[in-house]
Amino acid sequence: MRKLLLVCFSFWLFSSYAQETYTVNGVKDERPGLHAFINATLHLDYQTTLENATLVIQKGEVIASGKDINIPKGAIVHDLKGKHIYPSFIELSSNIGMPKTENGRSPGPQLGPKKEGAYNANDAIKAYFKAHEAFETKDSDADKMRKAGFGVVLTHNQDGLVRGTGTVVALHNGPENEIILKETASQHFSFDKGSSTQDNPSSLMGAIALIKQTYLDAEWYANQNEMVDVSLNAFNKNKNYAQFFDAGGDKLYVLRADKLGDEFGVQYIIKGNGDEYQRLDEIKATNAQLILPVNYPEAIDVEDPFDALNVSLAEMKHWEMAPYNLKMVTDKGINYSITSDGLKDASKLADMLSQSIDAGLSEEQALKALTYNPAQFIKMGDKLGSLTKGKIANFIITDGSPVKKETKIYENWVQGNPYKYQDYTLPELAGNYTLTVGNDEYQLEVSGMPGKENFKIVVNDSTSYDVKSEVSKQLITLSFKDESKEEAGKIRLSGWLKEAGLGGNAKMPDGSWAEWSASLNEDVSPAKEDEDTKEEETEEKSDIGSLIYPFVAHGNKEKPKAESILIKNATVWTNEADGVLENTDVLLENGKISKIGKNISASGAREIDGTGKHLTPGIIDEHSHIAISRGVNEGSEAVTAEVNIEDVVNSEDINIYRQLSGGVVASQLLHGSANPIGGRSAIIKLKWGYSPEEMKIDWADKFIKFALGENVKQSNWGERNTIRFPQTRMGVEQVFEDAFTRAREYEAEWKAYNNLSKRDKANTSAPRKDLELETLVEILNSERFISCHSYVQSEINMLMEVAERYGFRINTFTHILEGYKLADKMKEHGVGGSTFSDWWAYKFEVNDAIPYNAALMHGEGVVTAINSDDAEMGRRLNQEAGKTMKYGGVEVEEALKMVTLNPAKLLHLDDRMGSIKVGKDADVVLWSDEPLSIYAKAEKTIIEGTIFFDRDQQEDKLEAIRAERARLVAKMQGEKSNGKSTQKAKPKSQIIYHCETEIENYSSLK
Amino acid sequence: MKILKYIGIITLSLISFSAMAQVPAPGEAQKEPIAIMNAYAHLGNGEVIENSVVTFEDGIITNVADATTIRMDLSKFKVIEAEGMHIYPGLIASNTIIGLEEIAAVRATRDQDETGEFNPNVRALIAYNTDSEIIPTTRFNGVLYAQTTPRGGRISGSSSVMDLDAWNWEDAVLKNDEGIHLNWPSKLRYPRWWLGETEWRENEDYDKEYEEVKSFFKDAVSYKEINNPETTNLKLEAMKGLFDGSKSLYIHTDRAKEIIQSIQFAMEMGVKKIVLVGGDEAYYVKDFLKENEIPVVLEETLRLPSRTADPVDMPYQLPNLLHKAGIKVAIGQWGEVMQVRNLPFSVGTAAAYGLGKEEALKMVTLNAAEIMGVDDKIGSLEKGKIASIVVSKGDILDMDGNQPVYVFIEGRQVTLEAHQQRLYKKFKNKYED
Repeated sequence: MRKLLLVCFSFWLFSSYAQETYTVNGVKDERPGLHAFINATLHLDYQTTLENATLVIQKGEVIASGKDINIPKGAIVHDLKGKHIYPSFIELSSNIGMPKTENGRSPGPQLGPKKEGAYNANDAIKAYFKAHEAFETKDSDADKMRKAGFGVVLTHNQDGLVRGTGTVVALHNGPENEIILKETASQHFSFDKGSSTQDNPSSLMGAIALIKQTYLDAEWYANQNEMVDVSLNAFNKNKNYAQFFDAGGDKLYVLRADKLGDEFGVQYIIKGNGDEYQRLDEIKATNAQLILPVNYPEAIDVEDPFDALNVSLAEMKHWEMAPYNLKMVTDKGINYSITSDGLKDASKLADMLSQSIDAGLSEEQALKALTYNPAQFIKMGDKLGSLTKGKIANFIITDGSPVKKETKIYENWVQGNPYKYQDYTLPELAGNYTLTVGNDEYQLEVSGMPGKENFKIVVNDSTSYDVKSEVSKQLITLSFKDESKEEAGKIRLSGWLKEAGLGGNAKMPDGSWAEWSASLNEDVSPAKEDEDTKEEETEEKSDIGSLIYPFVAHGNKEKPKAESILIKNATVWTNEADGVLENTDVLLENGKISKIGKNISASGAREIDGTGKHLTPGIIDEHSHIAISRGVNEGSEAVTAEVNIEDVVNSEDINIYRQLSGGVVASQLLHGSANPIGGRSAIIKLKWGYSPEEMKIDWADKFIKFALGENVKQSNWGERNTIRFPQTRMGVEQVFEDAFTRAREYEAEWKAYNNLSKRDKANTSAPRKDLELETLVEILNSERFISCHSYVQSEINMLMEVAERYGFRINTFTHILEGYKLADKMKEHGVGGSTFSDWWAYKFEVNDAIPYNAALMHGEGVVTAINSDDAEMGRRLNQEAGKTMKYGGVEVEEALKMVTLNPAKLLHLDDRMGSIKVGKDADVVLWSDEPLSIYAKAEKTIIEGTIFFDRDQQEDKLEAIRAERARLVAKMQGEKSNGKSTQKAKPKSQIIYHCETEIENYSSLK
Repeated sequence: MKILKYIGIITLSLISFSAMAQVPAPGEAQKEPIAIMNAYAHLGNGEVIENSVVTFEDGIITNVADATTIRMDLSKFKVIEAEGMHIYPGLIASNTIIGLEEIAAVRATRDQDETGEFNPNVRALIAYNTDSEIIPTTRFNGVLYAQTTPRGGRISGSSSVMDLDAWNWEDAVLKNDEGIHLNWPSKLRYPRWWLGETEWRENEDYDKEYEEVKSFFKDAVSYKEINNPETTNLKLEAMKGLFDGSKSLYIHTDRAKEIIQSIQFAMEMGVKKIVLVGGDEAYYVKDFLKENEIPVVLEETLRLPSRTADPVDMPYQLPNLLHKAGIKVAIGQWGEVMQVRNLPFSVGTAAAYGLGKEEALKMVTLNAAEIMGVDDKIGSLEKGKIASIVVSKGDILDMDGNQPVYVFIEGRQVTLEAHQQRLYKKFKNKYED
């Protein structure tokens, strides 16, 4: 049995330099702290290696390094023959030594901040927090980091949207006064409001808006003397440091963080998520430096075919590709540092890095990202990241490259203090020996690392005796029972290392003494074996799948491209004066409709036979909640005009593709209906595979969501939600009245300021810029248009009156289920209606909702659309439009317009979309049947001349998905049979948003 | 004071409800034989007659024939000329809460979910509200029968088959307490969004829940053997019918493993008639289902695929995939109660995705009737069956065509217009004046 005498001993041996200001109890005990490390392979920095070199440190600082260095007198000399010295790693994402915080939830509404004192109006803005003041040494945590090779961390309080400053700390178990290397190095941000239980923000877009407003508030704060805000004050001071953003979520969050920074001229250093390879071009375009995790997922247990169904293709592919992230990011020329954050513990770091190195990442690059880059990011390149003269003496002693999992880290020196994890002075004992005890001879097999040896007496292939062993620096003690002998006792050996092996005295079972010796037979070279197996692994791993855009099933290997397309001989529903044209050709060129007629020919165009088929303009969904990240409602306050769905468009949502399969080409992504004035909307074309920015229609007018009725007065939110104003329809009117009154005053205040003479302006502080009121002013000036969720006629009338009082018009009433009761008034006001075809009975206020609503509004001349509000219904809006024929007898062409031209009008897109007309965008759908029939299937959905959905290719696509899954399943099974640990297969779930989905960081409340 | 105020509100709202509740009176009993002439007949058993004659008397179908070949004396009949129209047996909605819930968000109007885990004795039919405003809107689209089904708990209770035109539930019931509904434990639990979870969790109580079901069934098996139990147990009493075949066991479960496990279990317990309800993954265990002749009641077709990698139209195709595998399928409708009226379009979509119109129709007519054990009475246009008939202007499975003109339940002509049509007319008149 093996017994470890030398347990990893991790303690720092002496405190070499006393604290200047502290009183000494006893006599002063300051030691020279002068060490010379000789004969080492010295890695001065990530790219410079010196053989047989020397490193000299004194009092925690490198005083000399290189070859031919004189060893100063009195230096303690460490012979590192065969050993390596590397600069130790720097961790930039850490909360070591920070107070513990937990994410909380308020049991009931919490409208304002809880923190007492002259702090910010929102608890998630913690700019006042100073990491160096809160920092307390917690060596058990520090030790885990040291063992993995880290010497320095940038630590900050990982709590809140604005998290205050970060401080740079050496991982030495010394007094805080001495190990803080840089008091304030950074300011930190995130999208996670953390421990704040304040209702606002409840969504991702709310968090983004709050950070934006904080920038504006801070700017205003600097030039005012009306109030004190400790947080804003600190925020202004913290601007001078490096700005870090923890963009936890996925790769799109990195893009969001960068975009946010761009608005305020800030370039963040962004902590990513390890999936950057999935949107590499966009990430590169941010120009941001990144902090990248290496928490690669374990293979998933896919033995049970039914359980395996629960694993998504994206998960499987990410499992395979995650180790390639660093290599791909490097090849793209992106600068980054590596973090151990996200690993179960830092000890997994080398294992993960090895995987990346197998995937093609160079060791040099890995080292750079662990030493040089992080030092640069915190502007401490003069002190950290290399081992030239004047640097802090932070380094590790190893037997090889520290970015490989088989490498041993013997010692980690921090500020000149050694932390010893393995004794490199211990002899290497592994090997096969011939052991002679008295007259008997045995075969002794020794395996394992120095200090962790395993001894075994091998009799033959199937029989061996366990040997109990103790190995210390000077002594070797072994004992075993020779089973072939009759004596009951053990043979006990005590000995030491000799020139030709081991030897010493033996006590035999009968009590007699004998001599023993062991001489080495041959080399066992496990290192070589390792290399062999690794090569095999590398070969295996080179067979990886291709990237797809977006990175989910049904993604494309290449983004679809526009082409010239000639659709021949179709029945063309123009939505224009021409009506429905039989046997007609339509040519699409350069993303536009270029010709409509008979017998068109176009060389080079892809021809599609439309015989027996129907071509219509693409469907436009006025009311959709697909493709939105983390929350569709910022319902925490009655007015949240500051939030913007454009900030949270999610290009990776499978529902984009599903909508395409139902002929949808564009959707308005609306804020939900949790409050009277909700957020601004995003209008996108469903360009599956493209990035959020590419999907947005950049020429579209700006819109915002308003809402009325039960949702905004929180009728169905449970007993606790009875506090936020408004709770009645009466209150709802006052919310609008108040909002627009404030907006008018705000506009006047700015006008007055802007009209000041240059000199007066210089002497007057500018009014506070308020994102919420800015948006409302846009509405007053008809620069932004309202789509208002509405049910009951009384409140619909009310809102039209409010608008008229303030001199603007409501653009669209959406849902508008009682629109039929006041269609005449709507017509007079000039507002359109975008309604459900037949929904009702889900709450009290829809009791009078009738499926004839669309027909009646349309009959009165109201521009009427049918919308979905639902990812499922969104993909069969043609069927929903068909219902207006059943209920109210709408003529078929008019019914089609309700999901094409009319929503285009409501969204002010009809100049370019909504009908088949020369010069308009080539957004068309080819249907298998009459478009509003239940039997119609969208066969091709084309946006700006690009085929984004092709039913003919479905079988191939599914086959490709099946094949890819099968390949990955086999690979994962291989992993499992190789003994690697796996995780259970659990399905991911996707929340499907509706208007009513009140989201508090994912919570659903309907 | 506060309590009084609430009572005041409740009373007021009741009054306003009753003021609105003007569900039309049920049709009068059939007085004379009726013949519907020259319609395109979809018999519900997969067959069609392009030019048909359908006659019925005293609420029973007396003849279904090809009008081009048959010769009949129609002098005693009231003749309805339906040339160009389509005639269907009344559609049957499986597994609905129709009559049990009026307004989803108003608790007082929800009657489908009793407290407690094992409630086989709880009977849906007695809560069935014939004056529900949902009923006329459903009938309006050709759905004339519904299985009204309790929800919740491990065993929700008993369902009954009701017709959608009656004075009270006793008149409405076609087959009472025909099945018991078991919600099989799930191996996975839904993620708790409010805690930030996005993954399903393993149900650590699965084995325990399985044991609970098992012990309940064992007790039920034992109870039925005792001739005169000292203490009558209403729950176990209600279970008896499962073992003699007078009641079906409807097992609600979606995932492949649970499907196999639950059905194996029920067979071991000696349950005579087993129906799978839900069956989102039924396709993966189709051979098992076929081998054991387990019929499936599928969820509505108009829903999203449950997995991103699924074909975008997986739910649309599923009825056909199971049909092709030789499994008897009905299509149910159990999302929001208002959606029951869209059952024809759920079926129409399945028709479009490989199933074909007649086979699709069967899934809400004859198949559904067979699964509920009422195929001797309804489910097809056949001599001797109840005259519950829809005559539609066009194809009932398509939105534009779905325009019932004549609807008969048990031979009684049913009023189609109700609350929604009244509001339509009221405001149409307003704008036309």
